[in-house]
Amino acid sequence: MSERIGIAQFAIGHKPQVLKAYGLGSCLAVALYDPEAELGGLGHMLLPKHARYGGVGAVGKFVDAGICQMVDALEQAGAQRHQLVAKIAGGANMFESAHQTLIDSIGARNARSARETLDSLGVTLASEDVGGNRGRTVAFDLASGMLMIYCARDNSEISI
Amino acid sequence: MSFERLDDEQLDALKEVSSIGMGHAATALSQMIGQTVMLEVPQVTITEIRDVPDHLGGAEQLMVGITLQILGDARGSIMLLFPKESAQRLVSSLLGKEEKELVMNEMTVSALKEVGNILASAYLSALGNLLNRTLIPSVPMLAYDMAGAVVDYVLIDLSEEGDLALMVETDFIGDPKQGPTVKGHFFLMPDPSTLDIFLNSVGVAS
Repeated sequence: MSERIGIAQFAIGHKPQVLKAYGLGSCLAVALYDPEAELGGLGHMLLPKHARYGGVGAVGKFVDAGICQMVDALEQAGAQRHQLVAKIAGGANMFESAHQTLIDSIGARNARSARETLDSLGVTLASEDVGGNRGRTVAFDLASGMLMIYCARDNSEISI
Repeated sequence: MSFERLDDEQLDALKEVSSIGMGHAATALSQMIGQTVMLEVPQVTITEIRDVPDHLGGAEQLMVGITLQILGDARGSIMLLFPKESAQRLVSSLLGKEEKELVMNEMTVSALKEVGNILASAYLSALGNLLNRTLIPSVPMLAYDMAGAVVDYVLIDLSEEGDLALMVETDFIGDPKQGPTVKGHFFLMPDPSTLDIFLNSVGVAS
């Protein structure tokens, strides 16, 4: 049983569900898991901060607002916030510019926004696989809480 | 102008404009690879941003993506996508040696970026002449990875202004009678604020 999470979407579920997000570049996948309740969620986010962009359109596309929404949904489904652990993947810089810029790439800002938001919500960030210049597909196993990360370009796979 | 309010006449105008631009780009490409290049009828798609990777043949498909920003009197992005095999054939014919695998080194990256540069310049200069606007391509950037990962960079710009993407897509293909062909997709994604400039210039403003 696996569900696909598109850009700006998130889903929550419990074991034995597997939540997947395909082909993340500078997008960020945020996985939240309550190991006691065996309940978790996966979000596929595009932009770092809701307020920065005047909040146009779907809330789920923003890292900060999307995480808050996911935590709320998980709590309503029976998860305990202090038990939640987070894992993040993605936030790459796919197109390396010839010129070094002073501001961070959007991928790096997405990852930073996730760390800050999780910290402010008191959710532990257990592990992360972010940055670099490779695309990632992620699968979040709600039975184990493991986040599997697949890179098509070098055909490699890791779990965090 | 928001994308969902475009009527049929305006969509047709966008197709026509893109057709002309792409005609010039195809001529440039065919001179480069010494093969006839055929064009499909352009398609204008207005879609949820999250569905864009599916329009490109699936988020996990390995692709070479070359992207340029449109500068000058209008704003937007151009994305040129080549499936892995096509990029390999393109590199073979440009560098004049048969490559079995697509190896991304300085030479191949530079050759492919140059293809992007030439196609985008031909396209934008034809478009600019037609619209009586100055349109300049930025320096091309290249990525070789899953289609979803390659395009989300372009989607970020669009998503800052809404949840919809307008894509003017033209597929092109080399002549199959002249050996293995090169296939590619050419996308024009104007920023919502730029669309009015295009539509006004061709006289179909709302």
